[in-house]
Amino acid sequence: MAVFMDLNVPFLPDRSDLRSVVETAAHLGFSTIALNYVFEPTAKKKQEIPTPTPINELIDQLPMVQGRSRPIRVLNRLTVLMSDASHFRPNAPEYRCFDLLAVQPTSEKLFHAACMVYDIDIICVPMTEKLPFFFKRAPINGAIDRGVVFEVSYSAAIRDSTMRRYTIANAVSLMESCKGKSVILSSAAQKALELRGPYDVTNLALLFGLSDGDAKEAVSSTCRAALLHAETRRTASGIIYTTRSQREAPQGSEDGRFESSHLYRRYRCLCCVAIELQWNKVMMSESNTPSGLYYWIVIYA
Amino acid sequence: MKEVEEKEEASVYQRVVLKNASPYHYLKVRLVLEDDSTRLSAVELKYFIITGLKSLYGEVGAALNFDVLKYDEDTLTAFLRVYSSLVKLWSSLTLLGSYQNQACAFRVLQVSRLNPLPKNM
Repeated sequence: MAVFMDLNVPFLPDRSDLRSVVETAAHLGFSTIALNYVFEPTAKKKQEIPTPTPINELIDQLPMVQGRSRPIRVLNRLTVLMSDASHFRPNAPEYRCFDLLAVQPTSEKLFHAACMVYDIDIICVPMTEKLPFFFKRAPINGAIDRGVVFEVSYSAAIRDSTMRRYTIANAVSLMESCKGKSVILSSAAQKALELRGPYDVTNLALLFGLSDGDAKEAVSSTCRAALLHAETRRTASGIIYTTRSQREAPQGSEDGRFESSHLYRRYRCLCCVAIELQWNKVMMSESNTPSGLYYWIVIYA
Repeated sequence: MKEVEEKEEASVYQRVVLKNASPYHYLKVRLVLEDDSTRLSAVELKYFIITGLKSLYGEVGAALNFDVLKYDEDTLTAFLRVYSSLVKLWSSLTLLGSYQNQACAFRVLQVSRLNPLPKNM
């Protein structure tokens, strides 16, 4: 069962505004949203890349998602508006604080580089202006192969009728080149009333030239693919990683060592399976070897 | 012999498979406005939806065949019935963003091919 995600909710400085947007998103049925921090480098002076504010400092208690009875998941995302190749600094330590990394290229050359070379998750397609260049098949196919997704945001279309024209035109030309694959739809809503429900967005995507199935994927499983892609970027293309979740040893078992060695064997076993299947990029964090604590093992091929 | 046939016909089972028999789609929508105290009449609501259709699809869209079946002024909830072009109506509702210079949103609560209202209403 795919859950709905909205991977572009702009970070609003006003806390009550942000709160109402997050609450509306949860009410509409989005299980995951990403707060978007926009970074626009200018040539004149060096600017600070914004650092994400932890969500528990912004909102005391996260609202429950309608129909799922669990709190909404809030991620952080950085969008770099690029007008020059030097604006994207690969391996910048500031990028590591964010869950998702996106760029918005403004020229054809940068778009090509973003599709083929840059280590990013999302490429934003501008919706508020006439498309500055044509989409070419080659870079788009390259991006699809690498797992990078394209983003179309719809809230500009709600605000203004000229923007609506640009949004539809740009989206249609994108869908024609990528055939509806690896496209995500997001809101970029400044106000709670600019958010739309996931099924409304699905229906709107039919207008952009997506098929029924692709439209639903654009708000659910493609978003999940983008998140998993971001995960591999953060863990150096690791397909296996372990994290320690603090959980007390089960009560009653005095000897915790048996428990841990049993778990350790399972962990090694899974790693061996991964290696035998020739997933060549395996990262095992040996520093995290089990020691009586609970382990999660996540495999992503 | 003929009598027997007629008798059999009376108790005969008939299996009819209808594919997309109903030409209608029904929508339950709620209008959310920035200012809670604003009230619309049913006529104003229908005119507002037609405006939205016209701005997205032009004159052809404005001529789209749809009805407001039931409308509750207090909660701004309406049942719409549309003949055959659900996508057009729904997308124009989605893209409606302002009513008389205040922000608004249509929340589509349910979409169905079966009539959600009881017969006597």
